[in-house]
Amino acid sequence: MLLHYVIRRTLQMIPIVFGVIVLTFVLFHAVGGSPASMALGKNATVRSLEEYDRQHGYDRPLFWGTLLKTRALKGWVTSEFYPDGGAPVLEPGVTRVDSFCADVDLHYLLKPDTDYVLRMVVRSTNGASAALMVCQNNGVPGEPHDFGDGSAQWYTVSDPDYAAYPLPPLSAQFRREDVAFHTAPETDERDLLLIVKEGAADIREAVIFEKTSDPWNSQFLSYLKRLSRFDLGVSSDTQERVTSILKRGAWPSLVLNVPILVGGTLLAVLMALLCAWRRDHAMDRIMVLAATVLMSVNYIVWIVAGQYFFAYRLGWFPIWGFESWRYLLLPVFIGIATGLGRDVRFYRTVMLEEVAKDYVKTAEAKGLGAGRILFRHVLKNALPPIITNVSLSLPFLFTGSLLLESFFGIPGLGGLSVNAINSSDMAVVQAVVLIGALLYVVINLLTDVCYALVDPRVRLR
Amino acid sequence: MEEQDITTEGEGGVWRQAALALWSRPMIRACLIIMLLFSLLAGYGEAVYQYYRHTDQTPTYQQLNLRERYQPPGFVRFYSTRSAADLFRHPLGTDNLGRDVALRIVQGARIAFQVGVVTSLIAIPLGVLLGCLGGYFGGRTDALVVWLYSTVASMPGLLFILAISVVVGKGLTGVYLGIGLTTWVGVCRLIRGEVIKHRDLPYVQAARVMGHGPFYILFRHILPNIAHVIIIVFSLRFPAAISTEVFISFLGLGAQNEPSWGIMINNARLRLWQGMWWELTFVTLALFLLVLSFNLAGDALRDAFDPRLRK
Repeated sequence: MLLHYVIRRTLQMIPIVFGVIVLTFVLFHAVGGSPASMALGKNATVRSLEEYDRQHGYDRPLFWGTLLKTRALKGWVTSEFYPDGGAPVLEPGVTRVDSFCADVDLHYLLKPDTDYVLRMVVRSTNGASAALMVCQNNGVPGEPHDFGDGSAQWYTVSDPDYAAYPLPPLSAQFRREDVAFHTAPETDERDLLLIVKEGAADIREAVIFEKTSDPWNSQFLSYLKRLSRFDLGVSSDTQERVTSILKRGAWPSLVLNVPILVGGTLLAVLMALLCAWRRDHAMDRIMVLAATVLMSVNYIVWIVAGQYFFAYRLGWFPIWGFESWRYLLLPVFIGIATGLGRDVRFYRTVMLEEVAKDYVKTAEAKGLGAGRILFRHVLKNALPPIITNVSLSLPFLFTGSLLLESFFGIPGLGGLSVNAINSSDMAVVQAVVLIGALLYVVINLLTDVCYALVDPRVRLR
Repeated sequence: MEEQDITTEGEGGVWRQAALALWSRPMIRACLIIMLLFSLLAGYGEAVYQYYRHTDQTPTYQQLNLRERYQPPGFVRFYSTRSAADLFRHPLGTDNLGRDVALRIVQGARIAFQVGVVTSLIAIPLGVLLGCLGGYFGGRTDALVVWLYSTVASMPGLLFILAISVVVGKGLTGVYLGIGLTTWVGVCRLIRGEVIKHRDLPYVQAARVMGHGPFYILFRHILPNIAHVIIIVFSLRFPAAISTEVFISFLGLGAQNEPSWGIMINNARLRLWQGMWWELTFVTLALFLLVLSFNLAGDALRDAFDPRLRK
């Protein structure tokens, strides 16, 4: 029965773990800007950006597909369509291509003997059809070529280096059109030639993809592969392995956060018991008000004011550093103070619910003292929600408290994450987010299993 | 059975009762007045901001005035000079660049309210919609909704919000998305629980027997009956959103070149050591008062509507 429960609960965990991995992946790989331009700066050349993409695998499809991103035609539509700057721009981002031909200088090396796909968002002005030509030598006009419907164009396709790939007739609305083409063997520098028959076409976007045969060579799958080897990548800041950074930061975080959690929980539970004991008196109301006031003071204010008054003005504590236990005192006090209000309120509600139950009346009727009732009976029965609450904050022992650590110079994971966020070191941020989420899921599972061990009723649910 | 009592009590009855219950408590009345004052300030700040934006001038709260740097608050100067002009010129002092602290606090209130409202407009519709769908339809829909919110709830709170705002880029858009796309989880859980409670109540069964479709029942019958939950959720998540924005802006990821309270605290923190106590004091006081009023009023609202919603 218990085993059955544990297995069921573990199976329930799997989709959530998967969701967490997908969510971090999507956030850090699909939403943000190009990591290459972030790493190489604004003045990087197209070639070096693409080299970066290729090395890190950012050119591959996110989840599934056969199209690899290239940076060919980047910014082409608006700026480089006519090299002499005569491109008529209709509206931002839309370029009109007149009939006959447009010669597109790629500034880009298409590989020989490779499959490419040209993807355009395009519309016709009067039902124009278009033909695409890939040709060499900047598209020097040759003999007129007949496309088969009587319309001659100034390019020859009989040459083995040239090939024509016709587009279907364009629609009057912007539509995505894909044209697959194959580059000739043993040539390197190539130009694209876009031929529009009859009228004109408006192009809004144009991108070239390289086509591969393996649809499973995606960023997500290789991310999963790396995760299964516990490879979390390399910090873009220090070139250090993220796993070793995490190992280094875990201990200071634990040293800071374990006392905060233990001290804070004990204090909050005691105060909640006090509230429950004096539940209909002014004391309870004052405590609740005080807890709300504590809760409303911003975390930052606690740190700034605490550091200024207690460390700088009064000199009771060292201000910054991580050298001996004395350096931990102030951050631990502040950490307890910031969590206290919320915890007292939560535990108080739990206690009040217990105090209202019949067994408390029985105990009172038996003549037990208040202390005995509260500590032996109420506290014991109120433990499950308290334990749940504590267990939910366990992952944060490891991932650390962001501000406390960065302000008191404690080299834990919280401080590291703040630094990584400030320097856009995404590998580290991603790793901490992922590990924090996975720990949360696992600890949730362990808590539930512990409940099932202790309380047989849980297994039946 | 209290839900049924609520529905039979007549139009506006519950709402009027709740409003009276709040207003009759002096402390809550004070909180409501403070909230009203702050929203007026924020509205005024928005008007000022729009005025300067349209006339394309540097706003007064951004103008550097190096001759009037580090001016203590008006009442402090009044104490030594006894001139009334001092009292009203820069009543809350100036910062290290000679900018008026009071005007900047008003702008901070504008940004705080903006963040509270915009993130609510993202989180509450999302949470209510998903919670309603999951709670009413159950089965696979519910499993999907629960999976979605469990996944987001597993993310390490503040760090995840920060990561979203880094990825989206510096500025308030990142703050809106970061807070909005993570805090719908709490809304969704609460609404889902309430919808499950209502799903099989007699009035819903009656509506079903009358042949109404599920969406009609959900949004015309069930949602009005749990509307108070949405109000309570709003009043409780508003101060949380404001505090988070202050935190993000403090780290330099939120508002850019605008006097958000987080930016002001970060600026004043460095000057505190030089004896400029007023900027930090007044900003934190404003932040504290606003958050405290919302917290207290939110608690009172919750008690007035449904004591069992206490968590």
